[in-house]
Amino acid sequence: MSATPGWSRAQRRLHWWVAALVPLTLGLGFLMVELPWRPLAPKFLAYQLHKSFGVVVFGLVAWRLLLRWRRGRPAEDAALPAWQRRAAGLVHGVLYGLLLAVPVLGYLSAASAPAQVPTMVFMLLPVPHVLGPDEARFLLLRALHLWLALGLVALALGHALMALRHHAAGRPVLRGMWRG
Amino acid sequence: MSPPRPPLPRRCLPLVGLGLLAAGPARAQQRQYRFDQNFGRLSFTARHFGLLSSTGHFGRFDAHVALDPADPGQAEVAVAVATGSIDLAWPGATELLRSPAYFDSEAHPMARFTGRAVGVANASRFRVEGDLTLRGITRPMRMEARLLRRGRDAAEGAETAEFSASGTLNRLEFGMREDRTTISDQVRLDVQVRLLVGPA
Repeated sequence: MSATPGWSRAQRRLHWWVAALVPLTLGLGFLMVELPWRPLAPKFLAYQLHKSFGVVVFGLVAWRLLLRWRRGRPAEDAALPAWQRRAAGLVHGVLYGLLLAVPVLGYLSAASAPAQVPTMVFMLLPVPHVLGPDEARFLLLRALHLWLALGLVALALGHALMALRHHAAGRPVLRGMWRG
Repeated sequence: MSPPRPPLPRRCLPLVGLGLLAAGPARAQQRQYRFDQNFGRLSFTARHFGLLSSTGHFGRFDAHVALDPADPGQAEVAVAVATGSIDLAWPGATELLRSPAYFDSEAHPMARFTGRAVGVANASRFRVEGDLTLRGITRPMRMEARLLRRGRDAAEGAETAEFSASGTLNRLEFGMREDRTTISDQVRLDVQVRLLVGPA
């Protein structure tokens, strides 16, 4: 893949939208579980919002990967040791994978849930369920969804800390993702 | 999908009230069908905000039908449901539905439906009218029933008949008034049962 002079505007915007939506969706996930059952409306709506954001994150990440495939990315800083560049590439790959896998697992667990609540993005766009209800599968998928989501956030935090560290060392990675 | 299986081990319920049916004046040719405890599903579906829906079910219920296969128009039906066996498999939802605001299963452990077929020309599709008792409140209830298939169960040495029925109740009539912004007043009931007739 040929290196580009910098991240395109669309790539930068998508990066920050996903960076904002992931913690928001995680927080909503904990909130929806913790909210009391009465009154029911806030809890129910928190679930719907969490599911909707999950679908949006999946769409934005798929778009990012498409842009990455078609436009490429700027070259890694050649001054960095090779092992660091390899580690960064590995972390970025796993992050992309988790950003796709976590919403998919959430969707599949919603589809498997015996309560059979349909998935409608922001109560507007129906997303058909490809799986029927199955309690054992539901419990397995929900646990996977949770643990991979926690893994995603831990890895994203490490990613952010490394970006800050590079920034403190005078390398333009943060500026490059913000202004191109 | 595999045939619906109860998620909880079924127990025969003490069917107080169902005895009435069997003890009633026996009609010519009417046969008593017993409920196959290995099949059967009783589920309910409510709507949310007009767009979404959710479904739960009762793990333990029993049904009894007195029916003349040649004249299904005379069928009599009785169903008893253990309200505590309600299950939505959503952590907390089951407790909510058992609570006093909903099925109040501690005070009202059983829900009942008794009814009879009305205006039937054939067994494949008929209407059942009767009374539904929930939380100690009895209201008229109508179900649309269908005979899905008839056959023989060699293991049981019995004839079998599979029925489905569905009907809609208004939960407000039974005193379930909570969360009207989130849960629809109308709740649909769907029942699938397999009935056995012959030696027990």
